[in-house]
Amino acid sequence: MLPLLLISIAIAPCSVLGLWPIPRNLQTGTTLVKLPSTFDIKVDVNNPPQDLLDAVGRTKSYLQTDKLQRLAVGRGANDSAALGTAPTLPSLCISLLNSAPPRPIAVEAVLPIGTRSEGYSLTVPSDGSSAVLTASSTLGLFRGLTTFGQLWYDNSGTTYTYQAPVKIVNDSPAFPYRGFMLDTARNFFPVSDIKRTLDAMSWVKLNTFHWHVVDSQSFPLDIPAFPELASKGAYSSSEIYSAANVKDIVSYAGARGIDVLMEIDTPGHTTAIAASHPEHIACNQASPWSSFANEPPAGQLRLASAATASFTAQLISSIAQTLPSTLFSTGGDELNINCYVRDPQTQADLSKSGRTLEQALNTFTQSTHKALTDLGKTPVVWEEMVLEHAVTLPQNTVVMVWISSQHAAAVTAKNFRIVHGPSDYFYLDCGTGESIGSDPFANSWCDPFKTWQKAYTFDPLANLSTAQQSLVLGGQQLLWTEQSSPENLDSIVWPRAATSAEVFWTGATLPDGTARNVDAALPRLHDIRYRMVRRGVRAIALQPHFCALRPGVCDLHA
Amino acid sequence: MLPLVALSVLVAVSPAIAVWPLPRQYSTGTTPLRLSPAFHIDLSGIHGAPQDLVAAVARTSNYLRNDKLQALVPDRGASSGNAIRGAKSLNSLTVSLTTSGKVRSISEEAVDDVESRVESYTLTVPADGSPASLKANSTLGLFRGLTTFGQLWYDLNGATYTLEAPFNIVDSPAYPYRGFMLDTARNYFPVADIKRTLDAMSWVKINTFHWHVVDSQSFPLVVPGYTELSQKGAYSAAQVYTPADVKDIVQYAAARGIDVMAEIDTPGHTSIIAKAHPEHIACFEASPWTQFANEPPAGQLRLASSATTNFTTGLLKAAASMFQSKLFSTGGDELNANCYAKDNATQADLAAQQKTLEQALDTFTQATHAGLREVGKRAVVWEEMVLDHQVTLANDTVALVWISSEHVASVAQKGYKLVHAASDYFYLDCGGGGWVGQNVLGNSWCDPFKTWQKSYSFNPTANLTAEQSKLVLGGQHLLWTEQSGPANLDPIVWPRAASSAEVFWSGPGGDVGKALPRLHDVAFRFQQRGVRAIPLQPLWCALRAGKCDLNA
Repeated sequence: MLPLLLISIAIAPCSVLGLWPIPRNLQTGTTLVKLPSTFDIKVDVNNPPQDLLDAVGRTKSYLQTDKLQRLAVGRGANDSAALGTAPTLPSLCISLLNSAPPRPIAVEAVLPIGTRSEGYSLTVPSDGSSAVLTASSTLGLFRGLTTFGQLWYDNSGTTYTYQAPVKIVNDSPAFPYRGFMLDTARNFFPVSDIKRTLDAMSWVKLNTFHWHVVDSQSFPLDIPAFPELASKGAYSSSEIYSAANVKDIVSYAGARGIDVLMEIDTPGHTTAIAASHPEHIACNQASPWSSFANEPPAGQLRLASAATASFTAQLISSIAQTLPSTLFSTGGDELNINCYVRDPQTQADLSKSGRTLEQALNTFTQSTHKALTDLGKTPVVWEEMVLEHAVTLPQNTVVMVWISSQHAAAVTAKNFRIVHGPSDYFYLDCGTGESIGSDPFANSWCDPFKTWQKAYTFDPLANLSTAQQSLVLGGQQLLWTEQSSPENLDSIVWPRAATSAEVFWTGATLPDGTARNVDAALPRLHDIRYRMVRRGVRAIALQPHFCALRPGVCDLHA
Repeated sequence: MLPLVALSVLVAVSPAIAVWPLPRQYSTGTTPLRLSPAFHIDLSGIHGAPQDLVAAVARTSNYLRNDKLQALVPDRGASSGNAIRGAKSLNSLTVSLTTSGKVRSISEEAVDDVESRVESYTLTVPADGSPASLKANSTLGLFRGLTTFGQLWYDLNGATYTLEAPFNIVDSPAYPYRGFMLDTARNYFPVADIKRTLDAMSWVKINTFHWHVVDSQSFPLVVPGYTELSQKGAYSAAQVYTPADVKDIVQYAAARGIDVMAEIDTPGHTSIIAKAHPEHIACFEASPWTQFANEPPAGQLRLASSATTNFTTGLLKAAASMFQSKLFSTGGDELNANCYAKDNATQADLAAQQKTLEQALDTFTQATHAGLREVGKRAVVWEEMVLDHQVTLANDTVALVWISSEHVASVAQKGYKLVHAASDYFYLDCGGGGWVGQNVLGNSWCDPFKTWQKSYSFNPTANLTAEQSKLVLGGQHLLWTEQSGPANLDPIVWPRAASSAEVFWSGPGGDVGKALPRLHDVAFRFQQRGVRAIPLQPLWCALRAGKCDLNA
């Protein structure tokens, strides 16, 4: 078949740049350009904020230490001869457009979702002149620095790119919310693991760390007004995020263009509160747990109790006010009705107030959400709060769709903004067995494993009308940690979580106008994976190294 | 059977022993006992104790000091503080051999014929502080006993203690072969990763490292006399195993009671040999690969060529001579007939010799196996050599059953010794998604993920007659590394691979509900020792045995 032969000839010499997510607008050449030892990044910004200077410093450091060889047979050895005479890039000049104010990246990163400016333009010429990076915000400059840092390879100590000139005009994200969720309650993750994860997130331009910080199993969050929650509910005194730790994480994230969206899941998923406040928890560790909760241990906030509603609102207010994000999640998933039916106090509260459980839930939720709106925060909830319960929510509430990708249409039909986090595409824990004991042949409830390919094929706009499509803020991959810990954090997350980063940054089409597809993505995903390994993140191999060096050779029909 | 009943009564009153694999006979008590600060392991009764036993004692002492594993209970042992403070102190463990005669090293005994190794031991830890005692007929048995001793202890504020003295343990493995296979060809693993894996294996008494060292994708093994293979076929000059590396690994393994059974897979899975010897490889990187191989790149040894047969025999002899083990695998899986049908050289060879492909395969295999025998080795093959091909194999050949646990009976029927390695129970890579490109919704061919519970439920003698059951040498978990590397080696292997270690040491029939708390203990102790074993449950559950069971 002649056409096939032609294609394989055309593909073979054309290597792919390792940019991930691939810019929405991109032109490249075929010229080798190397960095001289005197290469510098010049910050042409008045009063540059410290986090921008730090980002420049990190970028320069990556240029020196990545030492990633090209993923090609020979690892770029064939470039050696040409490199001798290749033009050099004296510097990268970065500047803000239109005299935009030089606010810290951390300030730009936590602006209300939808108002952030992440776009940038970057040119890397091949004629010996300087590279230029411009943006309308320091956040955009940071995204551009991230792209710049992915252009370079190592050949015996020479740092070079092989596809100059590179021209990127106004690369900006297709969706404003690109996140990753980590559950630090089923198993604990030290601050250093979270920081490493934030670094990796920033390398693929993720901008939201959804921190599912507490749950029924443990309460590792030290809330200054409620220290007893962590002191009695954490796994141990050393497995706690102190106020200083939270501040450190938030500022580390902010400097990397990442907003920290914290979640205190309510009224379910709260058993650990009973360790210090048994008065607020119904069906605490009730047995059999399967009658009272989706997973052990059972226990939910007594939502019909005025004291509990007040306690919860204060708790949420107390922690939310310490966080710069405008978003805060009150959770709301997997409410177990039977737990309340069997709880005499809840039944007494309901009958005294003459309310149904749903009415009480509405009162409870309005109270916790008022605590947030009083602080100027926007509530975030799981989809059940919209689809399964009769709860009045502020219309700007952000709803996370998790049970099924099929539910996005129903949530947007109610005119709420959504974040895609569907278990059938984005749950990183699926497919590796389950954590329930004495269950010999069970696999995970959300089998099978969600491959990067599956996640990559997600269509954020599927089955949505034009009006509904405008409600899609973006999406994220999620790690529930019943079977994860620092031991496998990197390997279960990376590089898979990079796939949604491209889905929601790049959108439906590649810069050449063709549809985004797994075939074109794989070589670039290898590239970001190898680069992550070079930077100390234990991202897993997607294929034998043999295949990673030979794009296409290990394809199904190759 | 009275003895068994008595045993299960013992077990019932002392369910919490955290030793993995579970000793075959044991009793525990309820007396607290702590290790004296001066605790030492006394080898003085063994005249001329071999160096590797001395080193094993030193490692055990280090673990006792450094594990600092807190008990897996909600308060991590705090409420036992008074009991521990008031406990008797154990000053020493006396180690002795129960046979006279020449003392052999662990390393020598670990590479004895698989059927003749002696791994049994007796361990007694009295409750009154009098010396503990470890006895065995072999230094290998003593090593197994030291491993058990190292799993008895917990830490509370610096005190190393147990709450379950006295211990009386009489232990020996149900099966002589308990292995783990690692593929170092799809992706490379530095020596340090292999050594860490060997340590972890030894902690659960696994005794065979099946090293699938080369394959079609890369040839990292530097074989004396055949150095061009790794020179041209390794991923890079840094990603090789030199003879010194191999010696280091073999010694490291043997000192930990582990036999290294290397495999040079033939005649398939050899594409990479073409980089140095294109004359020996048929259908080299032929396209579409799906017609020529089970995975890319295609390429198989020209088995009908006498030159290739001679080359392969010489290579196998040279490679096998790098290892001390009596066992050496020549592979033999996934032979692709179409590759040879389309290979002109092979067709010409067959025509000249007037042989069928099967006849040529027989000649080829007999030649390579004869070569192995010349260097004192016993051949190991994948099941296809027994079930799919008409190949004459020596009676002592060991067959690895991998395609399906359903094939075990057929292999046994042919009278060969066998090792369980069934993909439907023991393949650690299954369920992680397909890795072949351009295959959008492909999941792994052997879905689903093999949970530890699944492998733990394996019955090694299912569907076998009593006579056939004697052919079962044991079994192993396996890691094919298309999607693994040093980045996820520990988390994808541990603690899952420990489940077969118990099936083949303690025997089958264990209950996953009872095993889980002990397997938690393994995972947490591994973490303390620097192996990144994953959690099987939220810590909340790990601290509360049974609370997260399905019907709790």
